Amino acid sequence: MDTKLLNLDNESLICRIKEGNHDAFATLVNRHSNRFYRIAYRLVSSKDDAEDIVQEAFLKLWDRPNLWNPGKGAKFTTWFYRVVINLCFDHRKKKKLINLPEDIEFSDENPGPDVLYDVHQKQALLDRFIHELPERQQLALNLCFYEGLSNYEAAQIIGVKVKALQSLVMRAKTTLKYNVKRFLGGG
Amino acid sequence: MTMNLEQFKEKLLMYGADIRCWPKDIRSSGLKALYSSPELQKLVEDEERFERVLNTRRYEEPSRDLAGRIVAGALPKKKKAQRNLGVFFSEVLSEFSLSRRTFAAVSVSLIFTLIVGFTIGYSNLSGYTSAEQYETHLEDFLNYEGDVL
Repeated sequence: MDTKLLNLDNESLICRIKEGNHDAFATLVNRHSNRFYRIAYRLVSSKDDAEDIVQEAFLKLWDRPNLWNPGKGAKFTTWFYRVVINLCFDHRKKKKLINLPEDIEFSDENPGPDVLYDVHQKQALLDRFIHELPERQQLALNLCFYEGLSNYEAAQIIGVKVKALQSLVMRAKTTLKYNVKRFLGGG
Repeated sequence: MTMNLEQFKEKLLMYGADIRCWPKDIRSSGLKALYSSPELQKLVEDEERFERVLNTRRYEEPSRDLAGRIVAGALPKKKKAQRNLGVFFSEVLSEFSLSRRTFAAVSVSLIFTLIVGFTIGYSNLSGYTSAEQYETHLEDFLNYEGDVL
């Protein structure tokens, strides 16, 4: 692989990809595949599905690199986050996933924090609480808390103003805190 | 600038329990408020506990070869996308070592033969056989005793 490519920024790599440069594509994939896998995994909760989604997104980019238009002002990563996120939501609509395992149904009205769940059940519950949030709140939480993006960048990805993004994060955390306290005894 | 309880709660939700990571313009006032109030310290402890729970969320690392698979998937796909009718015919030409003129002549004669064939096929009404004739033939067949081997 051409080592000069490693020093190029994303936007320059895309220009090479538009010329059919496969090495430029490889450089871009190596640089970003894990980052986009993480957000995909957070949204679909499955390693295989998240990998498929990231692969699909990158192959779309390879087939049609002109889809990203730098003239519109969005950074490559901001635009590509949106591509991956849209694929994740499409996937979720198709799959109707996020079903609780049978043994973690809320049979009691309020089991209280003293109910002991094992680690696996706690993780599944937490995942369920997050997936039950409205889509934009989920996104805000995943991008800001789990991915550590700045409020500005997360707001750009979701397509809202920074104030609105902050409000989404706060509402998501407030709901989660309530559920976590109620069912998991933390927080 | 001093920060009251409500403002502090809001920032805590927005930026998290680690006040050293808050935006620069509110960091020092946040720390100042925290050190001066046991109530705020309790709030921060609660937030830290909550964040620890959030961090227990399940996560699986991607396969080591994820990037490699994506890159490998792109190359044949691009080649496949470039295949079209023109490429196919040029491959046929080179395969049979035909000149363009010969290839055109062969194509025209094939098309002509097809047209003539279809025209004759559709206009040949003498080949029509009635149902009665078929029936007769069937009867003959059933009554035929044939040669005994």
